Amino acid sequence: MKRVLLFIILLIPLGYLSFELFIIEDVKDPIKYIYTVTGATAAVILFATISLSLIRKWINLIKYRRMFGLFGFFYAFLHFLNFFVLDAELDFSFVIKETLDKPFIYLGMISLFILALMSITSTKKLFRKYNKYHKFIYLVLVLVTIHFIMAQKSLSIIQLGYVVMILIIAYCKLLQQIINKNNS
Amino acid sequence: MNIIKKPSWQIDDSEITSKELFDKRRTFLKLGAASLIAGSSIVEALAKDQIPVANLQYIKDKNTNDLKLNTYDEITSYNNFYEFSTSKEGVKPLAHTLKTENWKIEIDGLVEKPMTVDFDDLMKKFTLEERIYRFRCVEGWSMVVPWIGFTLADLIKYVKPLSSAKYVRFETLEDPKMFPDQSRGVFSTISYPYVEGLRMDEAMNNLTLMAVGVYGSSMPKQNGAPIRLVVPWKYGFKSIKSISKISFVDKEPLNSWQKENPKEYGFYANVNPEVDHPRWSQARERVLGKFFKQKTLMFNGYAKEVAHMYKGMDLTKFI
Repeated sequence: MKRVLLFIILLIPLGYLSFELFIIEDVKDPIKYIYTVTGATAAVILFATISLSLIRKWINLIKYRRMFGLFGFFYAFLHFLNFFVLDAELDFSFVIKETLDKPFIYLGMISLFILALMSITSTKKLFRKYNKYHKFIYLVLVLVTIHFIMAQKSLSIIQLGYVVMILIIAYCKLLQQIINKNNS
Repeated sequence: MNIIKKPSWQIDDSEITSKELFDKRRTFLKLGAASLIAGSSIVEALAKDQIPVANLQYIKDKNTNDLKLNTYDEITSYNNFYEFSTSKEGVKPLAHTLKTENWKIEIDGLVEKPMTVDFDDLMKKFTLEERIYRFRCVEGWSMVVPWIGFTLADLIKYVKPLSSAKYVRFETLEDPKMFPDQSRGVFSTISYPYVEGLRMDEAMNNLTLMAVGVYGSSMPKQNGAPIRLVVPWKYGFKSIKSISKISFVDKEPLNSWQKENPKEYGFYANVNPEVDHPRWSQARERVLGKFFKQKTLMFNGYAKEVAHMYKGMDLTKFI
C-alpha cells in the first residue's frame, strides 16, 4: 500500500508537467519549462534518496530507496530526452559536439551515465556484486548541484536557499558517517 | 449701499457643470459607443488577447520583413526583469509595485545642457512610430514585438552631446520600494542599479529605439515602463528597462552583465549564431509560440543595417 502511494506521489511532477503542457497549454517556453521541472524533480528525488537514512528514526522508508533512486534516474532521463529530442531535434552530431564542448552539458551527461549504470545494477542479484559502486551517487549529487548553478545566469535568493538546503543535507550526511565510523 | 447686480450673461453656480464631470464627458461618450459595439468581433478579439485599447498615436510599421507577431499575452507574461524576479513568468504578478507617475529622466555628462526631464514632456517632443522587431534573448528564446517609440538618435539630437562624448550610458531606476530585489542587499540577484551602454554610432543607428509602448498602448510595467531601450541586433539584456538616467561619457561603460560575469558577457553582445555562449549554443533559438526551433540570424537579421559598424573587429573577442 505504502509502495503504491509513494509511486503515485513520485509521479505527481510528471502529471503536473503534462497537465500544464497539454491541458492548460499556457506554457510560454515549453522546452525551458520541461528542463526546469524534470531537472528540479530529478535533483530533489536524488537528494531525498540519500536523505532516507537520515530520517529513518521518524519515518522508515529505507526499503523504498531503490524506487526513489530509479525515479530520480527516470526524471533525469526525461531531462536528457528533452535535450536530445526537442532542443537538439535529434541532431546527433550537435549533441556530441555540445557534450564535449560545454562543461555545463558534460557534467549533466556524466551524471546521467552514472545514474544509468546504477539503475542497471540495482536488481537484487547485481546489487550484491556492485553495491559498493553505488557510493557514486555522491559524485552525481555534487555534479548535479554544479550543473544546476550553471544553468542560471545568476542565483536568486530562492535558488540560494536551495543551495543552503543542499549544504545542510551534506552536513548531516557527513555527521552520520562520522558517527557510524565511531560506533563500528 | 453696494448692491451686487448680476450681469445678464452670468449663470447660477448651480448650473455650471463641475470640472470632473466635464472632463469625463469623453469617457461617457466612449461608454455609449462601447455599448454599441459590445459583442462585436473587435471587442471579442480584444478581450481574448487582453490587448488594452491603443492610447498612443504613431506611424505604423509596414512590416516589410513579414515577421509574425507574438501575442500581447506572450510579450507581457514572459519577461526578464531581475529587479522583480528571476522567474520570467514571475515578473508580471509582481510588477505592480513599479510607479511610473511623474517619471523623471536625468540627462547628464558630456552634453550642452544637462537636464532632468519629465517623461510625459519628453515623449511629446518626438514623433512616435511602430517598429516590429525580432527580440533575441541571450538565453536562447526569442519573440517578435511591435514596439512603439522614437529613435534614440532623435533624443540625442535634442540634447546635443559634446563632441567628446563617445558612449551613451543608461541606468534603470534604483528604488527598493518599487523593486523587491533591490532591497535584498548582498542577497540580491545582481548589483543595482542596472547599467547598459552603447557606442555613439550604435546609439545613433536608426534601428535603436527608445520604446514607450507595445501593441499601440503604453509600455506595461513588466516590460520596462515607462521608457526602455530596444536594440534589436543585440541580445535582450542590452535593451535596458525603466530608464531613469542617460549619461554621455567618453569611456566604455561597464554594463551590468559584463560586471557580473566578464568571461561570459561583454559590452557588445551582438546576436551572433557563430559565437556560442560558454555554456550553451547560440546557433538556434526557441521562438515563443512555435514548437520547432529556428536558426538564429547574424545580427538577429539586421546585418544590412549594422554590420558595417563592426568591420575589422574580431567578433569572437568583442562579445
